[in-house]
Amino acid sequence: MQFLQAVIIGLLIGGVYALMASGLTLIFGVLRVINIAHGALLVLAATMTWLLWRETGVDPILAAVATTPVMLGLGWLIHRGVITRLPQGSPAMTVLATFGLALIIEGVLNVTVGNIFRSATPDYFAQSFRVGGLALPKPHVYGFAAAVVVLGGLYLVLTRTWTGRAIRATAQNPAGAALVGVSGAGTAALAFAIGTATTGVGGSVLSVLYPFYPASHYDWIARLLGIIVLGGLGSLPGALVGAVVLGLAETLTATYGSLQWSTLVFYIVIMVVLLVRPQGLFGTRLREDALA
Amino acid sequence: MSALTAWLKQPQRSVPVLVLAAFALYPVIRPYDGYPHGVLGLGFLLGVQAVSWNIISGYAGYVSLGHVTFLGLGSYTAALLGARTGLNPLIFAPAAGVVAVLVAVLIGAVVLRTRGYAFTIITIALLFGAQIVALNWKGLTGGGDGVTLDIPPWSRDIQNLPFYYMFFALLLLTLAFSAWIRRTKFGAGLLAIREDEGKAGVIGVHTTRYKILAFGASAFFIGMGGAVYAYYITFLNPTGAFALLGAVTIVLSALLGGRGTLWGPALGALIVTVAGELATVYGGGANSRVLVFGAALLLVVMFLPQGLLPTVEAWLRRRRGGTVGYTDQAGALVARAIVLDRPRPPAAPDAPPLLEVRGAGKRFGGLVAVDGAALTVAEGSVTGLIGPNGSGKTTLFNLITGTLRADAGEVHYAGRRIDRLPPWTRGHLGLGRTFQMTRLFRGMTVLENLVAPLPDGGWRAMAADAVRGHEADRAKELLGYVGLAALADVPAGSLSYGQQKLVEIVQVLMTEPRLVLLDEPTGGINPALAERVVETIRDLNRQGVTFLVVEHNIPMILGLCDRVTVFAQGRRIAEGAPEEIRTDPVVLDAYLGDTPPEPAPAEGGAR
Repeated sequence: MQFLQAVIIGLLIGGVYALMASGLTLIFGVLRVINIAHGALLVLAATMTWLLWRETGVDPILAAVATTPVMLGLGWLIHRGVITRLPQGSPAMTVLATFGLALIIEGVLNVTVGNIFRSATPDYFAQSFRVGGLALPKPHVYGFAAAVVVLGGLYLVLTRTWTGRAIRATAQNPAGAALVGVSGAGTAALAFAIGTATTGVGGSVLSVLYPFYPASHYDWIARLLGIIVLGGLGSLPGALVGAVVLGLAETLTATYGSLQWSTLVFYIVIMVVLLVRPQGLFGTRLREDALA
Repeated sequence: MSALTAWLKQPQRSVPVLVLAAFALYPVIRPYDGYPHGVLGLGFLLGVQAVSWNIISGYAGYVSLGHVTFLGLGSYTAALLGARTGLNPLIFAPAAGVVAVLVAVLIGAVVLRTRGYAFTIITIALLFGAQIVALNWKGLTGGGDGVTLDIPPWSRDIQNLPFYYMFFALLLLTLAFSAWIRRTKFGAGLLAIREDEGKAGVIGVHTTRYKILAFGASAFFIGMGGAVYAYYITFLNPTGAFALLGAVTIVLSALLGGRGTLWGPALGALIVTVAGELATVYGGGANSRVLVFGAALLLVVMFLPQGLLPTVEAWLRRRRGGTVGYTDQAGALVARAIVLDRPRPPAAPDAPPLLEVRGAGKRFGGLVAVDGAALTVAEGSVTGLIGPNGSGKTTLFNLITGTLRADAGEVHYAGRRIDRLPPWTRGHLGLGRTFQMTRLFRGMTVLENLVAPLPDGGWRAMAADAVRGHEADRAKELLGYVGLAALADVPAGSLSYGQQKLVEIVQVLMTEPRLVLLDEPTGGINPALAERVVETIRDLNRQGVTFLVVEHNIPMILGLCDRVTVFAQGRRIAEGAPEEIRTDPVVLDAYLGDTPPEPAPAEGGAR
């Protein structure tokens, strides 16, 4: 029973992780940009959610309806103002630039709202659904539901709409997509904006599930990057699987070992997977003889 | 006296030496400036870290965002060993360096086998992993309470002076180490990896080993610095020892000064330290520090991506003006034949083929590029490989040299099966190639391009001097043969396409090859130069080098080659002497006809 409980909580948390990692892997898939600022954007969204919740009493997870458009716009701005202005063809530089962005966001939060721990605590914060002998914490269930909605929506947009097909085409072959009339720059901006918008919901769920402070973003980006490395960079299914593995590794370690070691266990899982499959679980090795 | 003035006129040598001498003398003149000594000492320590970081992230191009981990590891190693033994922690500095290297090599051995981003990401995880261990392995590290070290025994008046010199000495050692690496074949190989990792493998650079070594090398002096640092601050805790802001300052320093240069990271470290100190004294506290560093990092990346030193150098070069080098066209055309160091003995007439491909197959998704291909190349021959576009010639090259791995079939070379060997090992066996679109290391000079290849897999070869001595002489000699001697110090990316083709052939020769695969050696270059390329192939062939040549210039192939193999739709359709091929109806059909010579393969065939 204890095992089943741990597995179910692990899956719920895994769903939330998948939500948080989906934007990161989408952005990488289309732009080949590792957005180190993704964690900071999550914490920013969580902080906005927390302020909304405290000032208006609105449900933190529903507050995502308000924060998501803000994050969408911010994502578009970041792409326009920073990403497109970086030296072309230097992946290292995009990593460093987004790292700088992450620090700027952290610094701005430090200076404006202060360097303290926060956590949104709505009524259901400490309540659980009882199913059989299992206790399902309400915040985790709601967070998981929000994740399913966002990931499902993302899937539908990517597979059923022209925009989604344009994004996928650009991810596979930017030059080819441009030749058939897909504007590479426009699609990239859109993908970056959508990827960033997912931090709206991700941040609101974060604000309820985990205490956070401005520097928490390091912790989050380390985990999320671990997820997408494990799953294979740029692969959405890979991110889902990686997220669930992290969720399970954490809850099982916390149940049978101790909470402090859970993240380390996840890193060890990554190393073992990379030993066997250097490209990650769902990563592919591309043709490497011709430079793109 | 005139030697001194001449030396002073070489600012790239004299300025750093004068600056270092000033730093060495400063405490002698002002021994009681405790506060500046402390600040500068920490600047030297940051310099040690940035110069070390530059080895993996500047030379090899693999960005580490967690390099401060090695400082923390060194600090904890020295502090804990000191506490356990009761000895001065400083004597454990070498051990601290070794621990840092061991961790780097272990992590590197897992993540550096692939290319790209996984490394950067894992370095962040490494920093957090180290923090978690330090925090939770209380029995070893004391957990969050940290470790306190004894206070140094020397007088408080000169508190910082010994540290000033210790950090300074470490910085000098690190700079010397970095300069030495840059001079060796190992260093040239690291630059090659940064420029084009796939190509580096083909010219014999054992990329995985190089990267792991570079990561290990980038950890040693930081680990030692950590030991000294621990003794300096006398208190360690997990969040202080493994601080992300420390990782940021390393990256910012190296980037600001000039990533990939020798002195840049050290210069950047001093600027960042002094500016950071001023910001703390006159600006806000720790909160705004993050904001300032973040903004500085972003601004440098966006507006000064090359860093200070390269930008200043480029500006000076523009002011002085430069001379443009041209191909010594006449020289190239009439130049003496290339003479190899070690000509290869002629093959015995009944020797087995040097290269034999059997049943090789490769598909990309549903597209079958090579389908049960067979090919033999006799030792000492010039064998031609022709076929329509898309017939799988280049893919076959990739399977032979290891750039791609075959799905099926076997490749035998010089009596051994090679289709499972990594590209560099195939290179060490004497297998060289050029690319259809030249793939020189564009940011490196022509000379550096030529000394990067590694003819054999030995450690001694890696440590050998590259940019001067025998290798460089040999490279210049070969350049002279093709009329490009004047361009040795020009970035390869600024050469014309035809010049690049010639340099790439010379680059292959530096590996002392036994079999050279040429992918369209005369494509896109003028007829006179093409004729010169053909002559060069003949010269080298007379000295025992075997060639396999892909070309669309059929008259040239038929004139040059002993044997010709014809490919269509991923398989061999004809093989024979040039005159047989010229009249073979199957070949004519493949080039000119519209019906395939054989039925298309049934499953998953061309779509």
